[in-house]
Amino acid sequence: MAYNFLSFFVIIVFLTVVFLHVTRKNSMVIALYAIQSAAITLILFGSFFETHAVSLAMIALLTFAVKVVFAPLFFTRLIKKHRLTFSASTYLNVPLSLLAVALLAALAHSRIFAPLVAIMPDHAPMITLAIAVMLIAFLLIINRKGILSQMVGILSLENGIVAFSVLSGLEQSPALQAGIMFNLVIWVTIASIFASMIYRHFGSFETTVMKHLKEE
Amino acid sequence: MAIVIIIASLFVAALTGIASRQRKTIETVSIAASLCSFGAAVAIAIEVASFGTYSFLPLFSVDALGAIIMLAVAAVGVATAFYSKGYLREETAKNIIGFRRVKQYFILFNLFLLAMFFAVATVNPIIMWISIEATTLSTAFLISFYNKPSAMEAAWKYLMVNSVGLLLGFFGTLLYFTSIHGTGLVSWGMLFANAGHLNPAVAKIAFIFVLIGYGTKAGLVPMHTWLPDAHSKAPVPISALLSGVLLNVAFLAIIRFKAVTDSVLGVHFSQTLLIWFGLASIILAAFTILTQKNYKRLLAYSSIENMGIVALGFGFGGLAALAAVLHMVYHALVKPALFLSSGNIFLKYSTTKIKQVRGALAALPITGILFIVGFLAITGVPPSGIFLTEFSILAGGIGMHPVITAVAILAFALVFAGFLKHTSSMMFGERPDDVGSGSGERNYWILIPPLALVIIFICFSFSLPPFLITLLHNAAAAY
Repeated sequence: MAYNFLSFFVIIVFLTVVFLHVTRKNSMVIALYAIQSAAITLILFGSFFETHAVSLAMIALLTFAVKVVFAPLFFTRLIKKHRLTFSASTYLNVPLSLLAVALLAALAHSRIFAPLVAIMPDHAPMITLAIAVMLIAFLLIINRKGILSQMVGILSLENGIVAFSVLSGLEQSPALQAGIMFNLVIWVTIASIFASMIYRHFGSFETTVMKHLKEE
Repeated sequence: MAIVIIIASLFVAALTGIASRQRKTIETVSIAASLCSFGAAVAIAIEVASFGTYSFLPLFSVDALGAIIMLAVAAVGVATAFYSKGYLREETAKNIIGFRRVKQYFILFNLFLLAMFFAVATVNPIIMWISIEATTLSTAFLISFYNKPSAMEAAWKYLMVNSVGLLLGFFGTLLYFTSIHGTGLVSWGMLFANAGHLNPAVAKIAFIFVLIGYGTKAGLVPMHTWLPDAHSKAPVPISALLSGVLLNVAFLAIIRFKAVTDSVLGVHFSQTLLIWFGLASIILAAFTILTQKNYKRLLAYSSIENMGIVALGFGFGGLAALAAVLHMVYHALVKPALFLSSGNIFLKYSTTKIKQVRGALAALPITGILFIVGFLAITGVPPSGIFLTEFSILAGGIGMHPVITAVAILAFALVFAGFLKHTSSMMFGERPDDVGSGSGERNYWILIPPLALVIIFICFSFSLPPFLITLLHNAAAAY
C-alpha cells in the first residue's frame, strides 16, 4: 500500500517535469510546479504515516506552505504584474526537447547511476525516476530562455533531490529541513525581485535580451 | 565563546544597518564588528594551534584548516570594512549612490561575513551548505549594487549558476550520508568515522557532484563563468571578499569531502580530478589574462588561476598540499589588496578599461606602488611567498606528473607576461588630461587597508607566526 502510494506520487513528480518541457504558458508552468510540489508534500507525509513523528508532519506542512502556496503565489503575482502570458520559449524545439528528455530518462536507468539505485533496492524504480527528474529539470534550466522557467527548473531540481533523499532514506533532521526550507523562501523572494528588476531594465523576461556583458 | 562574539557582533552590525538612520553609526558599528570578529578569530586560531581543535556546543567545531580560513575571512573582513567606509563616501560625494544604498550595503556586507564564518565553523555539512548558499543570496544584491543593466545581468548569472551548482553540491553531500545510519546532527567527524561504510561507487559519484557543485562556487573551470562578471561588477570591497576569501570557503568544502572520499577510495581518484580541474583553470585563466581589456576582470581571472593552483597543489598531494594551504593564505592577502588598489584607480579614472588608464603611478603614487607590488606578488616573482608556494607545488608534481607541471610552468609565464603588459601600460605613460587631482590618495580610509594587507603579505613571505606554522602543518597533515 505504502509502496503504491509512493510510486504514484513519484510518477506525478516525473510527469510534471516532463510536461514543463512542453508547456508554453507561464501560468501552466506555475501550475505544474505547484502540482509537483504537492506530490512532494504527500511523499513527505508518507514518511510521517510510517514513523508517526510529529516533526515530519510539521516539515511536510512547511513544505506545503512554501512550495505549494508561497512560491506559486509569488510567481503568479509576478506574471500578473508584468502581464506575461507567454514567455516560455526554448533553445530546442518541442520534438528535440522530448528526445532529449527521453535520452536523459534512459541515462537515469543506465549503469552510471546503478550505485545510487542500490542505496535502497526496495525503491529502485522510484529512485531511478527521481534521478530522471533531476536530469530533466537540469535540461529545463539550460533549454529555457524565460527567467521564470529557469527559476521553476531550479526548484524542480530541488524537488527531485528531495524525492531522491526520501526514497533513499537520506532525509535530514527536521531542524535542518526547516533550515533548507527557509533558504528556499529567501531564494524564491530574491529571484523574484531580480526577475522584476530585470524586466524593468530590459523590458523582457527572456535571458536572450541580456547582452550587456558581451558588449563590454 | 569566541564564535558567539563573531556571530553576535556581525548580527548586531547587520541589525544596526536596518535600524539606524545615522551613516556614521552604521559604519562605526560595522568596523567594530569586523574588529571583534578578527580578535575572536585570532583567539580561535591560537586555541586550535594549541589544542588541535576549537569546539562550542555540538554545533561548532573548527579544525586547523578551518582556523586558517577563518583568520583569512576575519583579516580581509577588517580591511574591507575600513575600506568600505572611505570608498562609499567617495561614491556618495560623486552622487553615484545615496544613503539608502549605503544602508543596504552594510547590512548585506555583515550578513555575507556572518554566512562565511558560519560555513567554516559549523560541524554539519548541510549547515555548511546552507551557509554557502546564504553567501550567494546575501551577495546577489551587492553584485547588482549599481543597478546598471550589466550589473543586473552579472547578478542574475551569479544567482542562477551558483544556485544550480550548489544544488548539485547538496546532492553530492546527501550521498555521503549513506554511510550514516539514523538521524540527528551529522558532523564531519562522523562522516570520517563512518567512511568505511560508504559504498566506493557511491563515493565516486558523490565526490564528482561535490567537486562540480562547490567547484562552481570556487570558480574552477569550466564552472567559472559567473566569476569574472560578478567580480567585475560588484563594489570593490565586495570583489575583494568574493575573490580573497569566499573562493577559499567554497574550496574548504571540497577539501573536507576529498578527505572523506580518500579514506574510501584512496587518494588517486580525487587527486586526478583536482589536477585536471586545476590545470584547466590555470590554462584558461592564463590565455584570458593575456588578452584582457578590463583590469577588474584581469584580477578576477587571476583568482581563477590561483584556485587552479590550489587545486593542483591538493591534486599533487604531500608537500604540494602544504604549499596549497599556504597559497590560499597568500592569495587571501594579495588579491584583496589588488582589488582595493583597483578601486582607488577607478575612483581616479572613472573607468575599468585598461587602455583608458595611463600614468597611474604618477596620478596615484602609493596606490600605483601597491598595485605593482601586488602584481609581482600574485604572479609569483621571488622573493614573494607565492613564488615559494608555486615552486613547492610544481616541485611536488614534477616527479609524478612532469607534463602537467611543464604546462603549468608555461601558463605561469603567460600570466606573468599578461600582467606585466597590462600593469606597465596602466602605471606608466602620460596620464589623460581629464584625470583631475580629486579623490584618491588623500583619503586614508582607502589607502591604509590595501597597504596593511601588502605589508602583512611581505612579512608573512619571510616569516610566519609560530601558531600559523602549527596550523599549516596540522591542516596539511589532516587533508
